Amino acid sequence: MVNLEFHDPSGAIEVKQPHAPRIATLEGKRVGFVSNEQWQAYRMLPRLKALLEVDFPGIEVLPIDAFPQGNAVIGSEETAALVKESGVDAVIIGNAA
Amino acid sequence: MTNAVAGVGLAPDAAMVTFPIEMFLPGSDISPMEVRQREFYDGLTRWRSAFAGDGVSGAPMVHVQSTSVEDAFARANHLMLANRWGDGLPLWPPTRERVDWILGGAAQPRGRGLGTFPPRGGVTTVESCAIALAMAGGRPEYVPVLVAAVSAFLDAESGSEQLAASGSAFPVVIVNGPIGAQIRLNAGFGCLGPDPQRPAGASIGRALRLLQQNLGGALPGIGTMANYGGMRYTNVVFAEDEANLPSGWTPHGAERHGFEPGTSSISFAFANGVTNIRRRGAKKETPEEDALQGMHRMADFMRVPNMPGLAGYERGTPGILMIPGVVAQTMAGLGWTKASIREFLWEHSRIPVAELRRAGCPAWIEIDASKVTRESLALDPWPITASPDNFVIVVAGGGHPTNSYWMQGYSPGVVGRPIELPSSFERLLADAERDLGPR
Repeated sequence: MVNLEFHDPSGAIEVKQPHAPRIATLEGKRVGFVSNEQWQAYRMLPRLKALLEVDFPGIEVLPIDAFPQGNAVIGSEETAALVKESGVDAVIIGNAA
Repeated sequence: MTNAVAGVGLAPDAAMVTFPIEMFLPGSDISPMEVRQREFYDGLTRWRSAFAGDGVSGAPMVHVQSTSVEDAFARANHLMLANRWGDGLPLWPPTRERVDWILGGAAQPRGRGLGTFPPRGGVTTVESCAIALAMAGGRPEYVPVLVAAVSAFLDAESGSEQLAASGSAFPVVIVNGPIGAQIRLNAGFGCLGPDPQRPAGASIGRALRLLQQNLGGALPGIGTMANYGGMRYTNVVFAEDEANLPSGWTPHGAERHGFEPGTSSISFAFANGVTNIRRRGAKKETPEEDALQGMHRMADFMRVPNMPGLAGYERGTPGILMIPGVVAQTMAGLGWTKASIREFLWEHSRIPVAELRRAGCPAWIEIDASKVTRESLALDPWPITASPDNFVIVVAGGGHPTNSYWMQGYSPGVVGRPIELPSSFERLLADAERDLGPR
């Protein structure tokens, strides 16, 4: 019998921080968008804003340009700081393709 | 892996709502998002990561059992494909023995960390490199080049995160110094292709690709959206033909990165296309006409709106130009230097802004992260890169004057690394001589 033992080449993954906790409900919450302005985000994100506002009483959804937009800036520490300062409860990021 | 955030330490999943690409095209019907609006809400309220808790999750050894060596190898190859670890070509199973043998070429301890491979974020060590090199059919003396290349790849300056995008970027590793010839890396005829006489580039480049896929998660359509994914079986790994550098011309590693001439080093960039340019004249040109017409022809090939190239507009490169040694010798005899060639190409590859506007390029330039790039729109004709110094010019290719080769850049940076050699390097070269015959 031949036994062949070899390394799994996919190695290890280190999870250093958890994803943000989910919120219990969207009712009465403040929600923001971080948009890269790509892939029809200029149409889809306002549509999603309208849907949220209809479905959840008391929700406040910030305009899609409340934070800097574009691939070049949405990943920056400055944008992250602005999001934090805004006091939003949740953020929707789009659009990737 | 389902996202591009694992590489920064988050779990390799995310709350996403995905749709077919058609909904993201101009003029699309976006009503499908109304049908699935609940998924958006659930992503914010109910979604849970499948990866609970922090910490490092390792990979165990894999076992295959069979009645014959032949069948065991076949089963191992099937398993590696089924687990999405392969590239479609036969693999050498990375057994302990094979990997330990390969590690004999490492100047660093096997556990030395080199970073995490984007976008998946696989923890990358010297041992990871040896595993990939074993799978790719490599040898110990190739390790120093691969480790240097991986170190450069993982340097934030390289901009490797773009590999997850659709632009089909591939790594280019240019080797300078004596190690190129020592490990049988091709600098001459067919230097970007397969060569049983100089097999090092294929193995090193294939190992790099396997690392991208297995640690970085760069599976087509999952971890990389490259439309075409060209040059990805072996990437591009070659040596500059320093033996045929004209007197007074500086090796690329010294010129771009400041390494002492004679230093074994690598230079790392990304490209996303290759073009063969028939450089030589066809009739009764004088040497001066032949050189000048060839230069214009090369500049003409570069004078295109390569919008992915904007990634390297300020500090990277618009591309890598390879010219054969015999051409370099002739041009040097006429007074050309690498610097004057770069100046010429920069000046003659400029694009009239009216042509940029016709092709919708200003929109891409205006959203670029670099202020230098955004402000370049004021220049007419528009230079394809911020500075002539950004052009990479390398003397390489067969000793024949007809063609040059242009690899168009998709490279935010060009990263250099000196190559560290193990104390056993001379013995490894002697072993290679024994195994592969004389160089």
